[in-house]
Amino acid sequence: MEMREATPEERKSFYTEEWNKREIPNFILHTLSLREFGFDLDGTGPSHRYNQFTTVEQLEDFMRNRAPYSAFTSVALYERPSAREGWLKAELVLDIDAKDLPLKTCGCSPGSVCERCIDGARKVAMEFAETLRGDLGLRDVNFVYSGRGFHVRVNDEAVMELEQTERGQIVEYLTGSVIPTDITMAFGYSKVFRERVARTFEALDEGQLLKVKGLRKSLVHRLMAEKARALEAFRTGRFEELSSFKDMGPKTFRQLVEFLRRVNSEFTDGKVTIDTKRILRLPSSLHSGVSMKCMFVRDIERFKLEDAVPKFIREGERP
Amino acid sequence: MFPPEYLAVLDPFADEAKKIVGAAPPFDAMPQEIVERAVNRVKLSSKEMVVQPDLESIQAEILSFYLMCQGVASVSFPYSHETRLISNATRDTIRYRMYDLFKRGQEDLCMKAVRRSIKLVELEDGDRAKIGGTNIPREDFYKLRDQKLEEDGIETVDDRVLPQYLPKYGVRWTDIALLLRYRRAELTKLYLVGGWAILTARDLWDFYANFISVRTEEYVQSVYERIAESGAQPSKALVEVGGRISSLLPKELEFREKFARMPAGRLRPEFFPPCVNMALAGVGAGSRNYAIIMILTPFLSYARIAPSGRVATRVADFIDDISIVRDEIAPPIFEAAERCNPPFFKDQPQEKASIFYHMGFGMTTDPTLADSGRSKWYRMPNCSKIQMSASTLCKPDEFCRNIKNPLTYYFRKRSEHTRAGGGG
Ligand code: SF4
Ligand SMILES: [Zn+2]
Repeated sequence: MEMREATPEERKSFYTEEWNKREIPNFILHTLSLREFGFDLDGTGPSHRYNQFTTVEQLEDFMRNRAPYSAFTSVALYERPSAREGWLKAELVLDIDAKDLPLKTCGCSPGSVCERCIDGARKVAMEFAETLRGDLGLRDVNFVYSGRGFHVRVNDEAVMELEQTERGQIVEYLTGSVIPTDITMAFGYSKVFRERVARTFEALDEGQLLKVKGLRKSLVHRLMAEKARALEAFRTGRFEELSSFKDMGPKTFRQLVEFLRRVNSEFTDGKVTIDTKRILRLPSSLHSGVSMKCMFVRDIERFKLEDAVPKFIREGERP
Repeated sequence: MFPPEYLAVLDPFADEAKKIVGAAPPFDAMPQEIVERAVNRVKLSSKEMVVQPDLESIQAEILSFYLMCQGVASVSFPYSHETRLISNATRDTIRYRMYDLFKRGQEDLCMKAVRRSIKLVELEDGDRAKIGGTNIPREDFYKLRDQKLEEDGIETVDDRVLPQYLPKYGVRWTDIALLLRYRRAELTKLYLVGGWAILTARDLWDFYANFISVRTEEYVQSVYERIAESGAQPSKALVEVGGRISSLLPKELEFREKFARMPAGRLRPEFFPPCVNMALAGVGAGSRNYAIIMILTPFLSYARIAPSGRVATRVADFIDDISIVRDEIAPPIFEAAERCNPPFFKDQPQEKASIFYHMGFGMTTDPTLADSGRSKWYRMPNCSKIQMSASTLCKPDEFCRNIKNPLTYYFRKRSEHTRAGGGG
């Protein structure tokens, strides 16, 4: 997969030939005039802020004429978006950036992404969405491919007026970054925590486990040798099973769980979620840094990276 | 046997309670036994928490509640230690009353009160508890019960206690977001199924009591802002009640504050509201005077000194070292004045003295504690006044939606930060 920067000419051709306002999802379209738009016009950063468009045609004119390097829109709705004033409410968002995922096994250098880590991000987005829809009973949970990861964007009225503290607690819940009171319950947070911990544990290799404070080498070997058994214990909450591993005293066990909990918290950037004035990449627009389309994903299970590749890359036309 | 007014005992903000207050004598002329009850409310024994179901007792209960709140608002500030003291006491009192009433077979009465604040459904009964079509597994049901029993340290249960520990209700978690905001509940501690938090009666009392407690804090805030609005001093009677409650604060609190790594009152610019930040950055000729004298001077002095325990008339009543004024409060004001365009004191040097005048030291540029009280210590104007007098300085952010006075902004934000675990 080619991920290179787009040239100004390619941007221009993308916005005149390929970009279509119909690819802007409804949750943005229906509230377009209440959102702040921000742009990075030439690749120097999103400094062109405080823009408001009352109709999608105005936005269309702008995109076609300026062919921005990047385009963003606020998660918040405002009375006066062009002044970022009169905050009304904001989407609940989770940002899963493939380049920042913990425990990558694809061998990508820090800061870069490949198809494998993008697929990892996709799975994390799906996990979050399942909990948002299930435990939290929320509707209108949307996915956006951001160009190098995924945004989960919830437009359910029930959460749009929440403030930072509550949003922070949602992040804790979704990621499994708090140790629950009772680990063995069939439903609720207890289950979410077990699933997340198991997923994290499964992805760990010996080298990473050896870095956990208090874990002896012999124990790490044993855990790896019998990974399936250990994993099952995490999944079912039967932690007695884990203490049957030699050298796994209560203190060691606590240190291991504490480590897993901390890794769990790194699957999304909580700062993005609690920022109720954030701007996020506009679905339909071009991520010029990697020449990928940021796009609304209707069916996350069947998402294919090819769908996000703009024509100028597919056709290999390099003017 | 319980008159309809009894609901006020469980919800001091209910219409039944408002009616009682409306018909009562003014709060600065309350009978002595109401005054005593207002002060004692923060140290009631569980027996004293229970209110007899007669009209007179109900009235005394409600009037003393409001007197307590107004007293505290007169001598301290929103989210002060005094405010916390009465809000916690209110929480404990309401929670105990619910528990006690339920035990005495008054479940309907309890639920009537709760339903006014919290929308809830009962779990579908039958063979298994069910909500929104989902069965709650048997084991989870009993684990939830045992968790709560353990939390309360209850080992032997009898038939009157046990029912309060069985999961029985469902609440949309988004309906109790206020409790999450104030850290009175935690999302990861709730048992959530399809958006429903499954609760026992005992959880319900807890959440409900916390709702009333949060509302008590908000009520103190609104009284504080009303006092700021009027500009008048609160009445002597209220000040006396507030002062007596203040003196009941645990002494070790003072101790802790004195020896804390950071002086408790030290100014925390990260919690300043937008208008204060604008003023600090220096402003143009048009609003210079207002920004420096009417906004910064009262804001920084009240925020730093955080007068509590008696009515704020003299700075010297609250500090015993003038360097707080000279080295902590005055310098940022003078620097902001310098940053104005044109610099404020350049063409109006006499305004230097005016700053200390507005803090109550009379016209001077060299204040001493002995001067304190020579003039009035001006209060912080409410937002509405600032918007009228210097509209360009008010650029409200999200947090401004919840407050009517910039000082409330500061105290509230600081307190939320502390509660969120950020440390004082
Ligand atoms: S609303 Fe009040 S606190 Fe907020 S900026 Fe305006 S005056 Fe200041
Ligand atoms: Zn990779």
